[in-house]
Order: sequence, then C-alpha cells, then structure tokens
Amino acid sequence: MSKQFQFKLVLLGESAVGKSSLVLRFVKDQFDDYRESTIGAAFLTQTVTLEDQTTVKFEIWDTAGQERYKSLAPMYYRNANCAVVVYDITQSASLEKARNWIRELQRQADPSIVIALCGNKSDLSARRQVSEEEAKKYAEEEGLMWAETSAKTGEGVSEIFTAIAKKLPLTAPPSARTGAGRAPTGPKSVDLNKQPAGQNSNEPCNC
Amino acid sequence: MFSSYRYVDPLCGIRRPAPISRGSKDAIATNPEKSDKLMRERSIRTNRKHKFVDCLSNQDVNIAELRKLAWAGIPNELRPMAWQLLLGYLPLASPLRAATLARKRNEYTSLVEVAFARDREGVDQQIWHQIEIDVPRTRPGVRLWMYGSTQRSLERILYVWAIRHPASGYVQGINDLVTPFFQVFLSAYIDSDPEEFDPALLPKSVFNAIEADSFWCLSRLLDGIQDNYIFAQPGIQRSVRRMADLVARIDAPLFSHLESQNVEFMQFAFRWMNCLLMREISVQNTIRMWDTYLAEGPDAFSQFHLYVCSAFLVKWSEKLRQMDFQGIIMFLQSLPTQGWGDHEVEMLLSEAFVLNSIWHNAQSHFNGK
Repeated sequence: MSKQFQFKLVLLGESAVGKSSLVLRFVKDQFDDYRESTIGAAFLTQTVTLEDQTTVKFEIWDTAGQERYKSLAPMYYRNANCAVVVYDITQSASLEKARNWIRELQRQADPSIVIALCGNKSDLSARRQVSEEEAKKYAEEEGLMWAETSAKTGEGVSEIFTAIAKKLPLTAPPSARTGAGRAPTGPKSVDLNKQPAGQNSNEPCNC
Repeated sequence: MFSSYRYVDPLCGIRRPAPISRGSKDAIATNPEKSDKLMRERSIRTNRKHKFVDCLSNQDVNIAELRKLAWAGIPNELRPMAWQLLLGYLPLASPLRAATLARKRNEYTSLVEVAFARDREGVDQQIWHQIEIDVPRTRPGVRLWMYGSTQRSLERILYVWAIRHPASGYVQGINDLVTPFFQVFLSAYIDSDPEEFDPALLPKSVFNAIEADSFWCLSRLLDGIQDNYIFAQPGIQRSVRRMADLVARIDAPLFSHLESQNVEFMQFAFRWMNCLLMREISVQNTIRMWDTYLAEGPDAFSQFHLYVCSAFLVKWSEKLRQMDFQGIIMFLQSLPTQGWGDHEVEMLLSEAFVLNSIWHNAQSHFNGK
C-alpha cells in the first residue's frame, strides 16, 4: 500500500515574478504570456508521486504580490507546511522582497515550515540581474532550499516541488486534516470578525 | 469601422429621433435566424427607450427620473451620456455641457502634462513599475486592451489617478475598473464592437475625450470606495465582515457549512470587493450592473455591492453545501457565470434590492456585536 500525504503550500513574492505562472505550469502544465494579476489569493492542488510510490498532495495558496495585499498573507502562511518564495532573476529588487518574506516567515510562520527560494524566469538569463551564486549563498546561509525555474519553458518546475515533497516529514502523518483552511484549534468556531494579526486594531465602529 | 464620427460631441446632447440601435441592426444583417428574437426583444424595449430619450432630451435632466429608469438598465446607445449624468460629471442642464466637458478634458490634459513633465525619469518609480506590469495583463486576450494605444492611455489614467491619491496610490484591481468606462465611452463614437477597435484610429481629440472622461468617471467611482485601497484595506475588511454577518442571517445552513469546512469569507470575498465582481462576471454583465449601481447613488459601490455579493453567494448555496473546503474554494474562484446575460444579472440585482430593503437599517444593530 502506498502512503498518501497532504501538505499546505503557500507562494509568496513580489508582483509579476511569476508565482501564478509557476503554479499553472506545475498544476496544469500550461503557460500564458499575460495573465490577470492575482487578487487576494488563488487556491489550487496538485499531487506528486515519489519513487517509493508515496503520494504527496499539495494544497497551494498562490498569493497576490502587491505590497498593499501584504496584510492578507498571514491568513495563508499561518498553517502552511511549506512556502515557495519566488523572485525574478531579471529584477534584483525582487530578491530583496523575497528576503523580506523569508524574514517574516522565519518570525511568524510555523517553526517547522520548509522554505524554498525560487529564482524564476531562467529563460531570460540574458537579462539576468541576480547571479546564481548570490542567491545560492543566501539560501545556504538561511538553510533554505534553492532552485532556478522557468514557468515559461517548464525548466526546474516539477523538480522544485518534488524536492520539497521529499524534504517534508513523510514519516509522521501530517496533522492537518483534509482541506482545512486553518488547522482546527480548540473549540471549532471561526471568529469572522477577528482580523489577521496586526490589522485594523483601531478601526472605528461603523454603526 | 470608424465611419460615423459625429462632429457634434455625442455627449453634449442627444438628437431626436432616438439614435439607431447599432448592435441589433448589425446582428440582424449577419444573423438572420436570430432576427425574430431580436425584433421581439427590441419591441419590448422600444417603449422604455422612448422614455429614456424623452428624459435625456430635456434641457434640464430630471435626475430622479433618470435614476428610476437607469435602475432597470440603460440602452447601449444612451449609456455613455446616462453614466456621465448619473456620476455628476456631465451637467444636468444641457446648455452647460459643452463648456464643462471642454474644461474637464483640458484639465485632464494638463494633469497628464504635469505628471509626465520629465518623461519616464520623473515618475514615481514604485507606482509606475506596478502600473507598467499590470497594464499588459489587463483583460488579456481582448483586442482593445492589447493595442498599444489603449495600453498607453490606461497607463496615463492609472498613473495620474494614483499620484493624486497618495493614501492609496495604484492598487491592483483598479486597472479592471477603468475598462467598463473606457469601453462604454468609446462606443459613443464608433459603430463597431469597442472590444475589437483600435483607438489609435480615432481623431486625437476624440481619443483624448474618451480618456479624460474615463479618468474623471473612474475618479468619481473611486471616491466612494477609497478606503478599499488604502493601507490594510479597511473598506474591504468591513464589507467582508458585514457580508459574513448578513449571510449568517439570511442563509444560516450555508454559513454554518462554510464554518464547518473552515472556509473564511476573506478567502473568496476579498476579490469580490476589491474588483467589484469583475473577475466573477463578464464585462457586459458588469456594465449592466453598473447601470443599477450608478442609479442607486454614490454609496452603491460599497453599500449596495455587499448585498449583491451576499445574494451572489447565496445563489450557489445548494451546491456549496454539498462541497468540502477544496471544492468550495475552487468553485468560488471559477463560478459558472459564463452564460450569464442581462436576465441573470437583473435577478441578482433584484435579490440584492430585497436584501438591502430588509437589512439595511438593521445593519447597525449587528455591526457592534
């Protein structure tokens, strides 16, 4: 009997680095040159089968990249088992944004979270602004997985997700139950009035 | 084709008899089997259209009457003018219109000149970068929005709006909100499908007029929902919360099912508020919906919209209650509205109207809970 595991994965990174394209390549093996920007977040799933026939199902939250949406991110990384933080190898500023996300994950996310740093658009290496050495060195210092990918050509895409699947703790059954947006904790009620951390604490009542 | 450019600006006033209805005429010519149905539909609408034409041809348009008529949908060829009147952009008194339009359009031109005075070097790099990456992915696949001319125009509209509203700046999704205005105003000057038309073919003054009018009308729309786009987006947070409160009352089984599946309203309704459902329904549906929103008044894009969103969610209640977390979220992010026409939108608007009448005054009671 093959074992089945299920993990939550969140994609983070600056706007237009190719987060949605990376997921679209991974999930549907498709690519569009122009896709509408992601608003809020999009949810997708994909299953990978490892050599020993273990299957790992990823429940993926693909988040919006613009700074204005940053306050929504905790809702999506809160219970994530793994995160893919994406930058664009042709935009050095996007690596800076990736570093910020990684710092935030290290501070706020589950301490056992597996983080992969992903340099996308490797097909545009002629316009490269971020060297492989620089990104790799940073990833090693922080203990992150690292790879370059091209959502356009497909290069490296399934590899990075498979590598993450292998790195996840496949011995103990994952604690999260199927599909839950947040792990059930304590009494099983969701307070919809509760804001994601750090928001709106002094918003006036709108009676 | 650009064959019927009217030298009198069509937005300054309408001429009797009513302008010929282009869309259906073309459709009949090319599509004989549909002509019967179209003829019937047209005759049903003729009466209402006459009332509209009467209303809009008054030297002083009666805004209350216009609102009443517009609530039920505006005929295509009267929409550019009706929207501008409803938004308070075009003066109700027709003798004032030509001068007002000229002034606003000149004012916009100067705003553009100032904003780009030092070319691309002088612009706010952060805002410009975000606009530059979003413009080519605005309505991808629709010809109108793939033309360089339209894209440059959209860049100018978004950038000028953003620097005039530093508290929000440009936020993704605002680009979507420009498109109905641009498309509707473009339709005032051409006989063909605006979604296929390259505005570069227009005389420069006409192109400028469409761009300027789109800018000012977008500004008016956004005035009512600016707190959707400022830091932490409190307007959206509040609307989503109120929507959840309302759904808990109008469809308790759905609400508790969503709760039991750990679905948070923010996970799907955020986009519904941020893009005013434009990612959920077609532009044609949106344009029809805005007829009613504009008729409802300046608050509609925040207040009435949350009733529309609630009615929209409850519409799928039966299906959703059979689904688990994954099914619900995936369903809600690609809803089967592709076949929606005016009828479905109008049903939704009536349901929202009923909810609004029942619950609007009660909202203040359950907000503070």
